[in-house]
Order: sequence, then C-alpha cells, then structure tokens
Amino acid sequence: MTETLRFLLRRSAAGLLTVLAMVTITFVIFWATPTQPARFVYPNVQALTAWHIQHGDHILGIDRPKSDQYVDYVKHLFRWDFGDSWARGFALPGQSAGIKGFPITAQLDAQLRVTLSLLLGGAAVVLLLSVPLGAFAGSRVGTISDRTVSLVALIGVCSHPMVLSILIRSLFHGRLHWTPPGGYCPLSSGQPGCSGVTDWATHLALPWLTFAVLFLALYVRMIRVSVAETLPQDFVRTARAKGASSLRVMTRHVLPNAGLRILTMIGMEIGTALGVCIYVEAAFGLPGLASRAVFAMSGSTQLDLPVIMALVFVISTIVVVGNLAVDTLYAVLDPRLALGGRPRTGKSAAGGVI
Amino acid sequence: MAPWRLTLARIRRDRWTMGALVLVATVLLLSFVGGPIASRVLGHNGYDQFPYAANITQKPVGPLSVVPDLNYSAGLTPSGELSPPPKRTPNTFMVFGADGPVGRDEFIRVLDGGKTSLEIAIGGALIALLIGLPLGAVGGYVGGLGDAIVSRITDTVMAFPLMLFLVFASVQLDAHIRGIGISWWLPDGVIAEALLIGVFTSFYPTRLIRAQLFQLREAEFVEAAEMVGASRWRTLRSHLLPHLIPTILVWAAVAVATNILLEIGLSFIGAGVQVSTATWGSLLSTTWGTLFQPQTYNSQQFTPWQTIFPTVFVLIAVVSLNQLSEGLRQALDPFTRR
Repeated sequence: MTETLRFLLRRSAAGLLTVLAMVTITFVIFWATPTQPARFVYPNVQALTAWHIQHGDHILGIDRPKSDQYVDYVKHLFRWDFGDSWARGFALPGQSAGIKGFPITAQLDAQLRVTLSLLLGGAAVVLLLSVPLGAFAGSRVGTISDRTVSLVALIGVCSHPMVLSILIRSLFHGRLHWTPPGGYCPLSSGQPGCSGVTDWATHLALPWLTFAVLFLALYVRMIRVSVAETLPQDFVRTARAKGASSLRVMTRHVLPNAGLRILTMIGMEIGTALGVCIYVEAAFGLPGLASRAVFAMSGSTQLDLPVIMALVFVISTIVVVGNLAVDTLYAVLDPRLALGGRPRTGKSAAGGVI
Repeated sequence: MAPWRLTLARIRRDRWTMGALVLVATVLLLSFVGGPIASRVLGHNGYDQFPYAANITQKPVGPLSVVPDLNYSAGLTPSGELSPPPKRTPNTFMVFGADGPVGRDEFIRVLDGGKTSLEIAIGGALIALLIGLPLGAVGGYVGGLGDAIVSRITDTVMAFPLMLFLVFASVQLDAHIRGIGISWWLPDGVIAEALLIGVFTSFYPTRLIRAQLFQLREAEFVEAAEMVGASRWRTLRSHLLPHLIPTILVWAAVAVATNILLEIGLSFIGAGVQVSTATWGSLLSTTWGTLFQPQTYNSQQFTPWQTIFPTVFVLIAVVSLNQLSEGLRQALDPFTRR
C-alpha cells in the first residue's frame, strides 16, 4: 500500500508542476503579445495618450513589476480566486469605464459545471454504447457484422465534430422535435422550467449523443481487440467448461480484461475531449469553458488576459486532475502498475488534436 | 526476402489496405489535377460567379444543372422575380451544382478545396516532421539535459487542447504571414496555416521518435556500430534512421488525416485561409456558419448538396488514410505473422 501511496504522491507532485508550468507559459506568452490593456478602461478615447495608458494600467493593477504580479496571481490561484476581468461595463462617450471589472471566479464556476456535465455524461454514454458493440464485434472477428460495426463506428471519428453536432441537432430538434434546441439547464437553482435533473438531462441528451458518436470508434475498436485476444485463452475455456453461460463468460471473465485499457484510453483522451467540447458547446449553445476559451482567444474582442489565463488554468487543471483520477483508479485496480507505470497502448486516431 | 519486398507483399495481400491506398491515390489525383482538367472541360473555373445559379432566396442549384453562362444578373422584374437572362446567352454545366448565393461551381471548388486542404495537411505533417525529427533524436539518442527539457515541454503542451493554442497563434500572427502565397497552386495563407499546424503538432512525432530511439539505442547493432568507431551522427543517420521510417510512415498517414480535420476546425473558427479560397473547411463553414454563429440548416437558402459533397470527400480521405496507416503498421511490423 505504501508503494501505491508513494506512486500517487509522485503523480500528484508531477501534476502540480505541469499546472504551474502551464500557468507560467501562458503568463509569459500573453504578456509578450502586444495589447493595449488601457483600451478596456478608456473604450471611447480615440488615441490613447501616455497619461491614459499609465492611468489605465494603474486601474487594472498591471503597472507593478511583472514578477510581483506573477507571484500574486499564483497565490490567488491556490484559493481558487481569479480576480476581476479587464472588461468592464458600459461607458459614456468621453468617460472612462467603471472602476471594477467583472469577478471571473463566479462565471468560471458556472462554465465549469457545464463542461463537466458534458464530459462526464458523454463519457458514460460512450461506455454504455461501446462495451456491448465492442463485445459483439470482438466475439465475431472477421465476419461481416464485425466489419460493419467497425466501419460504421469509424465514420463518427472521421467526420468533423462541428458538422456532426449541427447535423444531429438539425435532425433531432429541427426535423423530429424530440429535444429542446440547446442551451443548458443547471441541476439546481435555475429558472423555473429550466432546472432540475430532467431538464438538465434532456438539454444535454444531444450533446452527449454527439460525443458518443465521435468517440465510439476508438473504444469499440479497443474493446473488440481486447475481447478477441481474451476469448481463446485457457481460463475462458475453463469457465465455459464449468457451465457458465456465454453472457456470464463475457461480463465476468472477458470484459474485465478490457477495463484497464479503457481506463488508459480515457486518461489519454481528456485533452482531445476538451478540444471536441469547443465545437459541441458552440453548436448546442452551451455556455461552457472550451468554447468560451476559443472565443476569448480568437481576438474577436480585445484580449482579456485575466479571463484567458483563468480559462487556460482551469482547462489544464481538468486534464491533470482527470489523469490523476485515472492513475488512482489504476493503482487501486492493479497495484503492479504503481511500480512500473502504465502499460503501452496505441494513441487514438485523433491523436489529441481536434 | 528483403523487408521492403515483404512489406509490399503483405500490403498487396491485404484487401482493405489496398482499397485504402487506391482511395487515397484517387483523392490526391482528383484534388491536384482534377480541378484544372474540369475547369478546361467545363469552360469556367472555381472563382467564376454565375448569379443565375442561385434563385431569388439565394438557394443554389443542385447537381447536374445547366445555368446561363453570365457573370452578372440582369436585375429584378417589377414583381420581384429574377429577370431572365438576355436572349441567346450560352449555357454552362455544373456537375455538383453551385456553392452558394454567388453561384460558383461546387464541383470545381470541392476539387480545388481538396488541393488546398491537402496542401495544408501534407505541408503541416512535413513541417511537424522537420521539427520533430531533430528534437526526437536529441531526446531519444543524445539524452541528458536536452532530453529532460524536450520531454518536459512536450508533456506540458500535450496536456492542453491544441486547438486553443492554434487559434491564439493564428489570430496573433496571421497579419504577418497570411499574405504569403504563390498563384493558384499555393493560395494565400496556405503556407501560414501549414506552418502553424506543423509547429503545433510537432510534439507528436517528437514523442514517437524519442520513444522509438529510446528502445533502439540499446540494440546490439547500435552497440556494434559504436564499437567499430562510427560517430554519433553516422550511427544516427545510417543505422537508426532507417528503423524510424515505419514509425514515421504510420504517423504521417494519421497526421495528414488529422490535419484535414484541423483545417476544417480552423475554418469554423474563422482563423483559416480567406473564405473566398476553396478548402474543404471553408466550403463547410459557408453553409454552417462559424463557431460563434452556428447556423441551423435552412432549406430556403441551402441545398443539402453543399454539405454532402465536401463531407463525402473529407470522409473518404480521412477514413482511407486511417485505414492505410493501420494497414501499414501491420505490414511493417516484423512480428505480425500474416
């Protein structure tokens, strides 16, 4: 047990370092990009004078040395406090905008809930679909039905998330009117008619389905291979010989062997899944982290650095914490791995890119 | 049998991989020479506009349409209809119909778009390889401090959704590098996009090559080469590099497929090449809007064909590239018995 504990501690430390490195990298990159923060304070001034810039920077609190700001920022991060945005409310012509920006933390918490609902629910749907399909294809390797399942599943991974999302939305909402158009309903404390488990689930059903179709191929293929490798082994034959039904053989003896591989895959795919979230959130009008991050970074408005840094921090934290959770499960399920690290598995076709 | 002959024989025996190979070759051929040939045969190119190929609600014509060969509209009749073209206007033929309100030829645009998309995708993979090979070699073969730095950076950056970096970089840098282009063959912005995609995806080949070299450098033939006095450079170049080719080939096929999807993603975000340049991404995003303003499908304004044709081409390209990669991996692996 101590070995496992030590392994987990080491992993946590590495995860913490990764997050810190990420924060530092974004801090440096974003300070190196040319922006005019004072624009946020004086949105209506045509040409900013030196005085405007100095005063604006002072109001935003960025006239202090960069090292002080960095230390301060990291300190606040540990308290889950991201400060105020640079963007502020409406300003009359010729005047400066309000003194205070919007607090980032509250917004971010709400966005985090949306993205986590999408990710976790999507993962659940993927597993619910891929395990039976993978088991089905794996026990019939080489047949027409096996090829069909693999090929159909492959189409999902090869079409673009954005196109797939809008197609699914157009079909189930636009044509069939089965589901609401999109948007997000919180689990608690929402508007009447848009809160509680039922509303939450019905609004997220289509995004989850999209997610499942996109990731189905990877999991089906992997479970298929695992099942096909396990079926001819001796212990399966023994189980059969003792009279276990084929369902029991599959669920008790064959599928558990795929468990660790599935876990590895989930751990590796968290970054990809967040990348897919960008499109799914945008297409279904979910106010989530990933699409907010693209919006903030794409420069359609001025770059609001505190907001961007907060988003980058939270997204990399999701990846790191997710990986840590996978590692913990791993160490519990198979203590040998605490000593040697994860087994090698192939990287997905998407390669963590889209 | 020599390893290459063996690989070829294995590929030839694998029907699925042969099929994928044929499909990839077809897509490449269609994209790079199909456009010019089609333009010559049909008498118009992918930029020519035919207002009569779209009706009054801007809905373009469907496949196999004959439209008046006129690059201006004769205006509206008093009742709000599109006035008929002048007498004796010659007609022109549109194989896939038109691409939108301005009425460009969808067929030629899909072919030209394939060319642009594949240029970006292949260019991106090449640039990623150019960066990844030396970095991976430093990491996997030289080791030491260089390896520590390379693998730390790789791990950190790979923990983050790549698209976000890509969007940020392309928005910030685009003004400087967007204008680079060479005529029809390399439209403006292609080099810039390939460069960006290449730089930001170079972490994958770096990691693969590093891992491969890590295993290989313990091999006996490396030890033998070093023992007879081969320099590090020579060992790397003539003993280790040939062993990397299978890994690189398998990666490259998938990388090109992923880059095609990345290009579509960038178009959807509005950070790709100019909208007037046909790529598979820009063809799709003119129908479906951008990420920030996704459009619901509106049958008054669009035909399903505008989505179907680019999607089918993307699907064929990406599926067959993935299948090719899988087949190559099996064929190049000396331990599979088939």
